[in-house]
Amino acid sequence: MAIRELKVCLLGDTGVGKSSIVCRFVQDHFDHNISPTIGASFLTKTVPSGNELHKFLIWDTAGQERFHSLAPMYYRGSAAAVIVYDITKLDSFQTLKRWVKELKEHGPEDIVVAIAGNKNDLGDIREVPMKEAKEFAESIAAIFIETSARNAVNVEELFQKISKQIPPLENHEDETSESFKLSRQPAASTRRCC
Amino acid sequence: MASSSPPGNPPSGLTDRSGSFFKLIDTFASEIGELKREMVQTPLTFDKEPMDLQGLEAEVCGVYLQSPSCAGLGGERDSGYDSLRRRMSVLERLTQTHPVWLLLAVSEEEATRILLTQPPGVFLVRKSAALQRKILSVRLKEDQSGTPISHLPVRESQYTFSLEESGISFADLFRLVAFYCISRDVLPFTLKLPEAIASAKTQKELEEAAQLGAGFWDSALCSQHRTFPRACRPLSRTLSPQRSNRNREGEESQQRHTGAHCDSAPPTLRSCASPPSFRLERRHSSGPLCFVTPLFLQTHRRPPRCEDDPPTHAVRSDEDLENEGKSLKLSSSPGIEQHVDKVKLNGKSRTPPPRPPPPRSMPRRRPAPPPPGPPAATTRPKSMPVAVTVSPRQQPTSTKRQAPARPSMGGKQGSPSKTASPPIPVPSNPPPPRPKKPDLESHRCHIALDDETIAKALSRAKLPPCQPTAADALLEGNAGSPSTPKERGRQRLSDMSMSTSSSDSLEYSHSPGFSLGLAPSPSRHLNHQDTVEDSSDDDDDVDEDDEDYGVSLETDLEMRHRPSFKARRRRVGVSLGGGSFILPRALKGRFRKVSGMLSSLMTPERRAVKRIAEMSRDKSSYFGSLVQDYISFVQENRGCHTSGTDFLQTLRQFMTQMKAYLRQSSELDPPLESLIPEDQIDQVLEKAMHKCVLKPLKSVIEVALHDFQVKSGALQQLKENLALAKAKRPQELGVDGAVPPDPLAIEKIRHKFLNMRKMYSPEKKVSLLLRVCKLIYTIMQDNSGRMYGADDFLPMLTYVVAQCDMPQLDTEIQFMMELLDPSLLQGEGGYYLTSAYGAMALIKNFQEEQAARVLSSEARNTLHHWHRRRTTPRSAPTVDDFQNYLRVALQEVDTGCTAKTLMVQPYTTTEEVCSLCAYKFKIPDPNAYALFLVIEGTRQQLAPDTHPQRIKAELHGRPCAHTFHFVYRRIPNLNLFIPAIMDNGNCIQVE
Repeated sequence: MAIRELKVCLLGDTGVGKSSIVCRFVQDHFDHNISPTIGASFLTKTVPSGNELHKFLIWDTAGQERFHSLAPMYYRGSAAAVIVYDITKLDSFQTLKRWVKELKEHGPEDIVVAIAGNKNDLGDIREVPMKEAKEFAESIAAIFIETSARNAVNVEELFQKISKQIPPLENHEDETSESFKLSRQPAASTRRCC
Repeated sequence: MASSSPPGNPPSGLTDRSGSFFKLIDTFASEIGELKREMVQTPLTFDKEPMDLQGLEAEVCGVYLQSPSCAGLGGERDSGYDSLRRRMSVLERLTQTHPVWLLLAVSEEEATRILLTQPPGVFLVRKSAALQRKILSVRLKEDQSGTPISHLPVRESQYTFSLEESGISFADLFRLVAFYCISRDVLPFTLKLPEAIASAKTQKELEEAAQLGAGFWDSALCSQHRTFPRACRPLSRTLSPQRSNRNREGEESQQRHTGAHCDSAPPTLRSCASPPSFRLERRHSSGPLCFVTPLFLQTHRRPPRCEDDPPTHAVRSDEDLENEGKSLKLSSSPGIEQHVDKVKLNGKSRTPPPRPPPPRSMPRRRPAPPPPGPPAATTRPKSMPVAVTVSPRQQPTSTKRQAPARPSMGGKQGSPSKTASPPIPVPSNPPPPRPKKPDLESHRCHIALDDETIAKALSRAKLPPCQPTAADALLEGNAGSPSTPKERGRQRLSDMSMSTSSSDSLEYSHSPGFSLGLAPSPSRHLNHQDTVEDSSDDDDDVDEDDEDYGVSLETDLEMRHRPSFKARRRRVGVSLGGGSFILPRALKGRFRKVSGMLSSLMTPERRAVKRIAEMSRDKSSYFGSLVQDYISFVQENRGCHTSGTDFLQTLRQFMTQMKAYLRQSSELDPPLESLIPEDQIDQVLEKAMHKCVLKPLKSVIEVALHDFQVKSGALQQLKENLALAKAKRPQELGVDGAVPPDPLAIEKIRHKFLNMRKMYSPEKKVSLLLRVCKLIYTIMQDNSGRMYGADDFLPMLTYVVAQCDMPQLDTEIQFMMELLDPSLLQGEGGYYLTSAYGAMALIKNFQEEQAARVLSSEARNTLHHWHRRRTTPRSAPTVDDFQNYLRVALQEVDTGCTAKTLMVQPYTTTEEVCSLCAYKFKIPDPNAYALFLVIEGTRQQLAPDTHPQRIKAELHGRPCAHTFHFVYRRIPNLNLFIPAIMDNGNCIQVE
């Protein structure tokens, strides 16, 4: 199976649990064969999808306002962006809307956007109604899911949904190393023509 | 210090591991040398009685570990590479004639057509378009199984080539084929070179064959030889009778050595009689083979006890016989004759042994093993065929070294003795030369290292569990307790992670096997050892000039271990809690010797990089002229770039173009595909580009970037802001909760950054950056135990960068950003590079941030711009892109020659080039000048409408390249060309 590397960018306010979601995703089924990354800001995980293997290269970003301006460097070339908000913090949902807007303006075309409402284990202090978030997601054709990194709820599903939305390889921009190989083969076969 | 402990008698407890370590290396190296020689010596003269002498005295086995003897071998022993040049080995023949048999473009049909007219065993290598794999197509015997041609896919895993059905891996295709020319392994018989190649006596003959390329097969050369009786093909003229006894002895000892490990004698033949002073072995070559884990080499160094070695030559096909081509001239040693008789008498020698089981537990001829090959085969870098241990270590680690009764063919054996007798203690220092019988010696010199040797080595490798490592044997010897193979000793090199990830140099791995705490740190950095550093972070001292940041034997063994000799000792001492461990002198000497051997080995990767680098300096090659022209252009014209980024991008583009060119051109000989597995080629080319382009330009780039920084005022601003940021507390930079590194740690990080500056390769720089990041994580996590994401890490990184107060870091990051292989930008290296860039951007704009809490719009625009730039897909370079530079010399009567490298597009006319020259050289009267092509003393004025770049390309394309120059000079006869130029006008026009 061909391995396809997919860059996924994590956006969202500080403290909403961006890295918790990813840590949960990556570490729950930790594959010891895969060389671990040096820290939790950048994590990778490979999952099967159809007849491909998707290797998620997950780029975490710093959510503080002062780092906002650096975000373009992180989401450039991303196949998908996961924007996380905290269902117990309305502010974080507002920030999410700003991210959506910025991605629309400056993000890669065809980027798959997924909206994750984290901390749904804290439903009793919820500030963001699920319905509102869901409608917003639908309005921008984004994936929507509520997760709980703490209880490992819907984390796997979130990335499965992303996997499904990734267009097949032909349409994908040639950023992965896989496409390097493909493009090289013709050259290789033509060169021994003596 | 080293002398206080007598050689060979190191303090047992301490040397236990270290001793074994050195032994491992030692035996490993020896084995490699041996194998090389086998490849070299395969063709030997063939005599009527092919036989093998083996395993005489035990000491013989020891000889090849003996430094004096090794030294005395004068090149023969060294590595095989020298010998390669002097003699024509199978490997050499193969390499030189690859245009004949390495026909990647040939279809299956065509391959079949070619091979049908050939005798069995003849082969070629092609590439299946459907499978996208290389295929070894072999002519079978007529009577075999219907199909006249067998097509065997070649499996390429990381840095190794192997046949699909076999567990034996090779460093490159040539070695693979060479091996199968002398050993059949999974093939029905050995491969055979076409007669004309196999019997070629001179380089010239090989060249002739090679020049025919695929046409060879239809040529008279090919068919003419075909009529020769194959049986008397003299494959073996390479063993020169002049070789010294020493050599012979060394060789034989090796042979014996390997033989001694073979546990594969058919059980029926294994009687352990009391040892005769020597034994005669016969062999059969058609057995399955496996290969050699060198670590076992010394294990069974002990006197052979069995006289009944398996009959070796009893049954062989003609092909085997002739292919093996080695023959042992058994002349007249009475002892031997006698023994022959004995063997014959007991009747077993002629008994065709049953075909032994396949070497591996896997079913033979399995059509398509699952992609992940045998575990050990897949990732290890090998410069030589290496054993793949497929058989699980199911054997109990009993104290007996009972050889499993696994008849393997390689059959000569020696193993029975093992079962009974404890190993003879082997002193760690070289055994003294032992007396030997002269006549035996002379026999030995005729013993070829042939497939049998390999077979034995191979079969030995199959039995790892029941054999202690060489190191163990030695240890036991040292300790005087020849009893039990220790569990730990069973660790073999193949088990030790050899840090094979050269392919991804961003990942660094440590070798768990080298558990002495021998952190790889070349000696030049020894001074910097700080004990504070945890060992996992210790290897950031990288000796980049050795260009093998990656994997290689050399990297792993030589580079890391030889130079760090001192370090190792020191470390050992430390790790043992001050126990004064002293490296025995003997070990040291051996270690050096081993290093010497290793240094002559190169991984294919490294060889390829070296080859490309050499070619890049050779201006007579097209590639070389492109690179050199570009380098001189950059050196002369670095001012022509608008910014550092622009400059770096041009460099990056050039490297990308050159990589594409190398992939498409046939200038590399042998072709890269035969040396490097397909999926590694890009990385190898990338490394080569760093070496060819970035290394010579390192200082130029540094200066240029610095100049841009100064000119734009950015440096000053950066310094000011750094000073401001440095004064801030972590909290003011956004750090929330996590504990920042203390000043000591900051100093350590600074040191790592300084090391980073020394590298010319962006990948290497990035790997050092990763270590810094890892250290920061470690500090953060040590203090809290939790995982930190970017919310915590990025502020901390910003704080650390500010504390380090290194303005030069800015250009470092810029360098990496722009020059790193684009395919790596999405990975971990790319991520932390981006973070470092971000941290630096924040610091650069610190004042504004203080004021506005956001980056200036200008800074934001820069980021966006940068983002767009890196994401816009670059159009694939074409060959035309490589021709942008033209070196033109201005020849003046009075001032002599001055040359400039000009940017000249492929379709730029001579006329335009003249204009450019006039401008660049500041010629007041351009009409009096013209462009001339000077080839070997003849001079030719170029017409205004010609295209110099195309002329250059054509000249480079000629088979015999002459040196040529473009010279801009005064036209000798003014009347000749001025009118033409005038007619065309434009001559003043400057691009």
